[in-house]
Amino acid sequence: MTASTRRPTDGTAGAAGSARAGSARAGSARAGYSRAGRGSDADLTALLGAFCFFLSAIEYMVPKPLPFMRLGIANLPILLATGILPLPWFLVLALVKVVGMSLISGSLFSYVAIFSLAGTMTAALVMLAARKAFGARITAVGVSVLGAVASNAVQIALAKALVFGDAARLVAPVFLGMGLATGLLLGLFAERFAAASRWYAVATGKSDG
Amino acid sequence: MRLRLFDFAAIAVAAAAVAAASVAAYAPGSGEPNAIVSGDEGQWIYPLSSDAELSVAGPLGITLVQVSDGAVRVLDSPCSNKTCIAAGSVSKPGQWIACLPNKVFVRVEGGTSDDGVDAATY
Repeated sequence: MTASTRRPTDGTAGAAGSARAGSARAGSARAGYSRAGRGSDADLTALLGAFCFFLSAIEYMVPKPLPFMRLGIANLPILLATGILPLPWFLVLALVKVVGMSLISGSLFSYVAIFSLAGTMTAALVMLAARKAFGARITAVGVSVLGAVASNAVQIALAKALVFGDAARLVAPVFLGMGLATGLLLGLFAERFAAASRWYAVATGKSDG
Repeated sequence: MRLRLFDFAAIAVAAAAVAAASVAAYAPGSGEPNAIVSGDEGQWIYPLSSDAELSVAGPLGITLVQVSDGAVRVLDSPCSNKTCIAAGSVSKPGQWIACLPNKVFVRVEGGTSDDGVDAATY
C-alpha cells in the first residue's frame, strides 16, 4: 500500500525531470519548434489524423436536417495544423481526414468521396494560404471562415458539374450560409483552444512545455 | 480574444457570397409552382397541384417521389443516411430536397405566368 502510494510520486518526479531535460535540449536545438517537446512531424500528423477520425465519427452521429449540412468539426485538427505542420505533412493530414470521414460515412468507394476530397483539400490549402499571407493580421476565425466557404463553394461547383446541373444554385445559399456559421464557430473554438492549450503552445514553439 | 482586420474581411467576403447566391437562387417566379424532379435518366416536371408518384432510378436503386396536396416529398430512397426522406415535404418556390448518393434532386420552382402575352403580331 505504502509502495503503491509512493510510486506515482516517484513517477511524477521522473517525468518532471525528463521534461526539464527535454526543455534544455529543445532550447539548444530550436528551429521554430521543438522536436523534443512535441515529437516528430510524422507523430504529430498521426495524432491529428486520429483526431480527424474521432471527430468524423462525432460528426456522423449528429442528425442532419438538410442534405449537405455539415458541422465541419473534423476540420478542426487541420485548422490547428496550419500553424504547425510543414506542407507535405499538412497535405497528408488532409488526406487522412478525407479517408477517415469517407470510411466512417461509408462513402469511400462511391463518387461522393470526390466531394469530400475536393472540399477538404480546398479548405486545407485556402486555410494554409490565408495563414501564410495574412500572418498576425488574421486569427483562426478568419482562416476557418475562408476555408469553410471555399470548401462549400467548390462542392457546389462539383454538384453543378457532376450531378444537379443548374439546380445546384438552389443549394448554394444554404450551403454557403452553413459554411459561414460553422466556420465562425469552429474558428472561435480553435482560438480559445489555442490560447488555453499547453500542448498547442509546445507544438507551435511558443513554449518548451 | 480580439478579431483582426482580415477576420472581418473574411467574414465580409463570405457574407457577400451568401447574399449573391441567395439573389441567384430566389429570383421570384410567377404562376403556378411546379415540382421538378431530376435524376440520372432525366427530368420530370409536375404542377404542384397534381397528384403523382414517381420512381426515379439512380446509381443505388429507385428513389420514390410523391407529389400530392400541393407539396412534393421523397417517400423512399436506397441511400444509407435517408436525409432526403427526413427532409419531409417542400411546397414553396426555391425549396429543394436532395439525395446526393442516388443523384436525385427535387425542387419547387415558380411556373411561368399564364395571363401574360407571349408574343404579338400586326
